[in-house]
Amino acid sequence: MNIELKKKVMVVGGGIAGLTAAWELSRMNIDVHIVEKTCFLGGHAIKLCCKATEECQQCGACSVEKMMKNVVNESGINIHLSTEIENINRNGNFKVSLNKGPEYIDSRLCTNCGACFEKCPEHGAIIQGFSKNNTPLYGIMEEKISLIKDFCKDICPEGAISLDKKGSSENLDVDAVIIATGFQPFDPEIEGTYGYNKFDNVISGMDLEESLRQNGCALKPSDGEKPEKVAFIQCVGSRDERLGNLWCSQVCCPYALRMAEVIKNKNPETEIFMFYMDIQNTGNSFPVFYEKCKSDMEFIRNIPIDIIPVENNRVKIRYLNDNDGSPLIEEFDLVVLSIGITPGEDSNKLSKIFDIALDEDGFISNGNKFNNSSTSSRGIFLAGTAGGPKNIADSMANAGQAVCEALNYLGGEEPIQ
Amino acid sequence: MTHKTGTDINEISINTDVLVIGGGLTGVKSACEIASSGYKVILAEKSPELGLKNFEDQDIQDLIKKTASDSNIDVFTNTNIVSSAGVSGDYSVWLLKKDEIFEKKVGSIVIATDSSIKVLDKEYGLSLSDKVLSQSQIESILASDKEKIKGKSIAVIAGFAQEGNPIVTQRVLNSVLAMENISGSTVFVYMNNIKVASSGLERLCKEGRDKGAIFFKLTDTPEIIESDEKIKITFIDPVLRKKLEVEHDLIVIEEQITLDPINKNLANLLRIDLGPQDFLQKENVHMLPVRTNREGIFVAGSSRKVCNLTNAWVDVDNVVLELKNFLADGTKKIPGDKAVIDAEKCTICLTCYRCCPHGAIYWEGDKAVISPIACQGCGICASECPMNAIQLGGYNDSFISDEIKAKTESKTAKPNIIAFCCENSAYEAGLMAESFKMEMPEGLNIIKVPCAGKIDLDFIMSSFAQGADGVLVMTCHNGNCKSEKGNIFAGWRVAEAQRKLEVIGLDKERLAFVTLASNMGKDFCRVVNEMEERIKKSG
Repeated sequence: MNIELKKKVMVVGGGIAGLTAAWELSRMNIDVHIVEKTCFLGGHAIKLCCKATEECQQCGACSVEKMMKNVVNESGINIHLSTEIENINRNGNFKVSLNKGPEYIDSRLCTNCGACFEKCPEHGAIIQGFSKNNTPLYGIMEEKISLIKDFCKDICPEGAISLDKKGSSENLDVDAVIIATGFQPFDPEIEGTYGYNKFDNVISGMDLEESLRQNGCALKPSDGEKPEKVAFIQCVGSRDERLGNLWCSQVCCPYALRMAEVIKNKNPETEIFMFYMDIQNTGNSFPVFYEKCKSDMEFIRNIPIDIIPVENNRVKIRYLNDNDGSPLIEEFDLVVLSIGITPGEDSNKLSKIFDIALDEDGFISNGNKFNNSSTSSRGIFLAGTAGGPKNIADSMANAGQAVCEALNYLGGEEPIQ
Repeated sequence: MTHKTGTDINEISINTDVLVIGGGLTGVKSACEIASSGYKVILAEKSPELGLKNFEDQDIQDLIKKTASDSNIDVFTNTNIVSSAGVSGDYSVWLLKKDEIFEKKVGSIVIATDSSIKVLDKEYGLSLSDKVLSQSQIESILASDKEKIKGKSIAVIAGFAQEGNPIVTQRVLNSVLAMENISGSTVFVYMNNIKVASSGLERLCKEGRDKGAIFFKLTDTPEIIESDEKIKITFIDPVLRKKLEVEHDLIVIEEQITLDPINKNLANLLRIDLGPQDFLQKENVHMLPVRTNREGIFVAGSSRKVCNLTNAWVDVDNVVLELKNFLADGTKKIPGDKAVIDAEKCTICLTCYRCCPHGAIYWEGDKAVISPIACQGCGICASECPMNAIQLGGYNDSFISDEIKAKTESKTAKPNIIAFCCENSAYEAGLMAESFKMEMPEGLNIIKVPCAGKIDLDFIMSSFAQGADGVLVMTCHNGNCKSEKGNIFAGWRVAEAQRKLEVIGLDKERLAFVTLASNMGKDFCRVVNEMEERIKKSG
């Protein structure tokens, strides 16, 4: 073992891939800095629900919770929340300028009592994290600050809130970088004919995840009641040539089937229709799982074109009969749009800052045919969905690979004169 | 193995040599990467040669050469594993080469068995011939003898005899594209679910269609009739809704990826759990990506899932990372929370040996010993031992009894509920419910246990004796227990305790067994409140 100074690695992004990379690096005695642009660690994956029925369905959502606990309790990992990368200067190692957003809630004083969140008069001005391991568990939205100035003056019993705080700059010297900036869920409003955000009971797969996580069951947004008849529409925003999204998001069939099974398990009377093009596998036990799904729900190989509202907040879906092609109409009280994975919103910016190439779909491209964690630039590695669709398990494995490659790079690096 | 006892942490030195089983590409790559991390490798391959025949990639050929010449890698071809003993950090493995059996001692084992392929011609009622080709056959024709298919009408069929996977799809689509590039040939693809859940496959599908391949996506197997000249395929076209008949000169049949038949035997020899379809990893998120139920035994590539080279390389890197953590420099610091057997009380009944999910118990002379390296601290053995001869470092019986006593006494709020919570799942869910300010019974007392496997029958019964009005045993979901079956043992003990409650005239509903995940705060809250309700109702 070297007695020289500890090596430093910056992990960009605090979602499941970034958390895993940070944890694995710290276990290897590397000084780690996680740079996360939002005020919470966990990324999209921390919002996902447990999809167990009587049995664990191997979705991996609990692994995110576990990894987050590891990371926040590890003193060797420095966490920079609400922080973005301004620029990076490569001169032997990486000289990074960080742009830190104001720390409105002082994490050393906040006790997560929730008073600010519960009493906030302005919806969405103070937000709550998804995990108990988020510290602070609450965040203040910069664009709504002017609306809650008075409210915040003495709402916090610990005096942890101060809206006058300014952002700051910080410089960081690191020896390698792991990019784990994740994905952006497809915006279902782009598919206008599905009426997302127009009809109450048309929700996205992410919305359903949150509902199951927060309520323990699926509820109709219109009245908070349990749905009796649910449709899942697959491939919303994925495998869509018209949108230029020529990829399979890989996660939507597994999450839709698993959540449908959860709904069915909690309420066996629920009727479920699965509108699909091709069902993708869930894992090694897929053949058995798929048979169970087939007995529990209707599979219709047809992607509906539009959703039409009818009375009582119900909607109807038109589709073609599998056998004779005759048009059919079915009414539902909840429709779930299985939205997929699209490139992270900062892909272009990151590609410029780090001088790394993007692939034709806009994900960060990997630099080696057999290695999913390499980029086109030395010393910069890739983990998770920033490089393309992946589930939780694959994102974590990919992060492990990025760490292994980064260690090889750090070990073999010539000292810079 | 030498022990150096410290105050609470023991230092143990372990063997850092690694046995890699399987000399396919994953095995070869593993051996190379492990050796370059500074560990000595023994690479055992059952066939006469390393690598994969006919795989012409230059990088791969270089890798195989490097493996064969690396002084840190001992290569044994024509070699099988016949027996194993020992525990993590100190395994003995017996290898058979020709007629000779010899022993090797290693600290860790990496299993990298390969997959092979099976042609599914029989499943389609066909036999391979000059008109009926396998996927492999068309690949070699496309590589060497393209003229053979010039001007032909070719049917490609996949996804009916098996669900398939993206690896199968990729091979099919690659050859569809290559065939379309040959002048005059037309390709018809008959597929059920097209497995495109892998990078680049949707694009490959589109390229195939753009080049002129015609895709029929069917849910039922089409009728295939082979005559002297032609292959006739009859099906209902899902777009035209009409029965169609198409004649082809050739048909290409999909292939199934099958696992190495030695997997079952290896699982048996090395005492690791078999997963679905005989993969060498149980489906359990705690094992991901490359762990098994035994500490220090890892699985990579096709031994644990259907995968291509890119996926396998991810596994190899993760194995290296695990080994660096596990073997480190050969000295391990062991925290004092492991299970220990009291040799005086032990009657060598073998109960612990049989119930340990991590294969951590072995024999030294006539004594059972728990390896502190292999032990994961679940406590199943401690709870199952009929002689009460095993105690778990961090959670010994008197510690938990004291907890039960202290908690039932300290809380005056009624009803008094004791919830034994697995620290990996329900305990976390409870903390989550608390953090998110969910309302829970005032008389709730949470007792953390390392695994539900450590919840003794005694703990449950003595909770009632100490004055608890209700007891909850809260564990992981089936298939999510870190120790695979701690929750199952807990379930059995709850059923047993319920029987006892009935005998002594207590309402058995006051004891419940619940499965939860760490992120189910809401459900935790619901369960404990329901218990309170139930107790209040029954008075």
